Amino acid sequence: MSTLWTRLRVLTAAVLTGGAALVTGAALAQDLKIGVVNPFSGGMALYGDEMTRGYEIAVAQANAGGGVLGRKIALVRGSATNPQEAIAAVEQLVGRDKVDLLSGTYVTAISNAASEAALNNGKLYWETNALARDLTDRGLPNFARSGPDSRSFAQRSVEGVLQLAIPKLGKAPKETKVWIEHEDSAFGTSIAKEQERLLKAAGVGTTLSAHNARAIDLSDSILRAKNANPDIWLSTGYVTDHNLLLRTAREQGFRPRAMILTGTGDTFETRDAVGKDFLDGILLVSYPRGDIGEAYGPGAGAFLKAYREKYGRDPIAPQAMSAFVGLKILIETMAAAKSTEYEKVIAAAAKMDKPFGSYETGYGVKYDETMQNTRALPVIAQWQGGEVKAVYPKEALAPGVTMIDLGRK
Amino acid sequence: MADLANILAVGILLGGTYALVSVGLNLIFGVIRVVNFAQGEFVMLGMYGAYAAYAVLGLDPAVALLVVLPALFVLGAALQRLVLARLRTEPTMQIFATFGLLMLIENAVLAATRGTAYSVPSAVAQASLSVGGVQVGASRLLALAAATLAAAGLGLFLRRTMLGRAIRAVAQDSAAARLMGVDVERIYWLTFGIGTALAGLAGCLLAPIYSLSPQIGTSFILPAFAVVVLGGLGSVLGAYVGGFIVGLTEAFAGYYLDPALKHAVLFAVFIGVLIVRPSGLFGQVGAEEVGLREQS
Repeated sequence: MSTLWTRLRVLTAAVLTGGAALVTGAALAQDLKIGVVNPFSGGMALYGDEMTRGYEIAVAQANAGGGVLGRKIALVRGSATNPQEAIAAVEQLVGRDKVDLLSGTYVTAISNAASEAALNNGKLYWETNALARDLTDRGLPNFARSGPDSRSFAQRSVEGVLQLAIPKLGKAPKETKVWIEHEDSAFGTSIAKEQERLLKAAGVGTTLSAHNARAIDLSDSILRAKNANPDIWLSTGYVTDHNLLLRTAREQGFRPRAMILTGTGDTFETRDAVGKDFLDGILLVSYPRGDIGEAYGPGAGAFLKAYREKYGRDPIAPQAMSAFVGLKILIETMAAAKSTEYEKVIAAAAKMDKPFGSYETGYGVKYDETMQNTRALPVIAQWQGGEVKAVYPKEALAPGVTMIDLGRK
Repeated sequence: MADLANILAVGILLGGTYALVSVGLNLIFGVIRVVNFAQGEFVMLGMYGAYAAYAVLGLDPAVALLVVLPALFVLGAALQRLVLARLRTEPTMQIFATFGLLMLIENAVLAATRGTAYSVPSAVAQASLSVGGVQVGASRLLALAAATLAAAGLGLFLRRTMLGRAIRAVAQDSAAARLMGVDVERIYWLTFGIGTALAGLAGCLLAPIYSLSPQIGTSFILPAFAVVVLGGLGSVLGAYVGGFIVGLTEAFAGYYLDPALKHAVLFAVFIGVLIVRPSGLFGQVGAEEVGLREQS
């Protein structure tokens, strides 16, 4: 039934939408066009849109300074909610809209397909947000990632366990039990396996457990964890499954001493679903936010101001600032390369060397041999009274912010 | 022992959720002989209806039922008259039509919400009861009670009222029912309306448990099909009992084997039951063909 289901969905979606790519830009022929591949429909549209807002601010600032390579920059959207649509979106962006290069992506699977399609069309694919390590490990010659990857998220979350949580437990790492929960796609699995490896290396006891992010009920996952009585519950998931896990934990009275969420759980969607009282003290491994300390991310406050002026509200999610910085790095790299050809842009990127703290997110630039930026790291934040505050590393703390208790006894 | 009691409670409560979603689906299946892929979307609309009632009128989901159920009844009846009735001699096309409705509703809600995951606060949403060490969420308990009442009420309605008898007559043989003076077209839109309203009931009561997304309906529909096929096509009791079979199978497989394997185990049981008893546990022999049988 699932095969029929999938075929019916694809067929009907194709008929209803008349194709995958949506072109919303009003780019002029002489503009330098960047094709933006993201889910602009479907359940992840909220984040595809949010990332693109970050791009729009970066482009507006660049154009105010004259653009790049003597041309104004224009963004052209290509909507993709799955790998098949990603390939179609790239074909349309390159063939019909004549984009010079491509960028994205909120979802790893979409990035994976879109970047290969970009290579087939001889175009650069500049990744700012998708996380899975595999994307850079493929060694595609047209691909570079400016933002953090799954390994850096895993490393940061393990730092959270070792530096923030365990000291509050009054236990040695070898006496500590960590339950590693994750959704079972490439996103959650890649992070969880790296977390397990790093924690085992530190001598911490671990148990790994996977769940389907679309499951109707996750009581089994919570009851298994509750039965194991871990000190720390470390989870990687999407918004809806994290919300359901947290609601079930509240319902089942599961209160490990520390809860750490990786990837999501840091937006109003989770606060509204679970309530600020239950969330208080929960740690979050996430992209740097606009309210981090200026010493860590110089200009973060200015980004926040620009976002508020342009969109009339605070950012929905921290992905926007990482996307903004990613596009800034791309524009600088194109200027250094004096070209949009992927061979020259990748070669220029490989030569860049900027220290941590060069950008609003606290990122620097130093690419490894796989074209992963090794100076792009997430931060650890914490739910405090219904708001999310960066609490690690200490340089990222905004003035007046301190880490509060983990909230669970 | 405490683990067993806990997981048994989880399975029964989950079964109540599945039964609640499946009763309307099975009614439509049994009477109109339509495999309604859009039933999950009607549940989703019920959830968003509860959210809208909360956001605009400040209503608790349990009270929002008074608005959402009639609205979904009218929507279902209208869709049957405007779409499915015109395809009644094309059963295969009816399936595609319900799939088209699924995509239409999902994408319309998506366009309206941009995929934001809304939550519906409820007086009972945060409450849970502890009975002998077993934690029971009040929202799921409410869904279980509603499923029981809906199944019992629907069963009584079908057996004790003239309209219910007419619906059963159409389910058994629409041509004979028409010869006996039953307005078959009226029965079809009434039944579709009732089935859709039952989806709205499920949506309202489940809204406080989940983060609302336009895709949440499709998460319900595959297990719901397993429920109606296991329980028996067209049987209200079958949908009710099937819900518990699916809920308990998922809960036990998820807890004792692996949460990532629970759907694999569920559909292995599903295939096993189909091989042994194609009509399901409470279905009539031959009923498995109803979805594709030509209708008069």
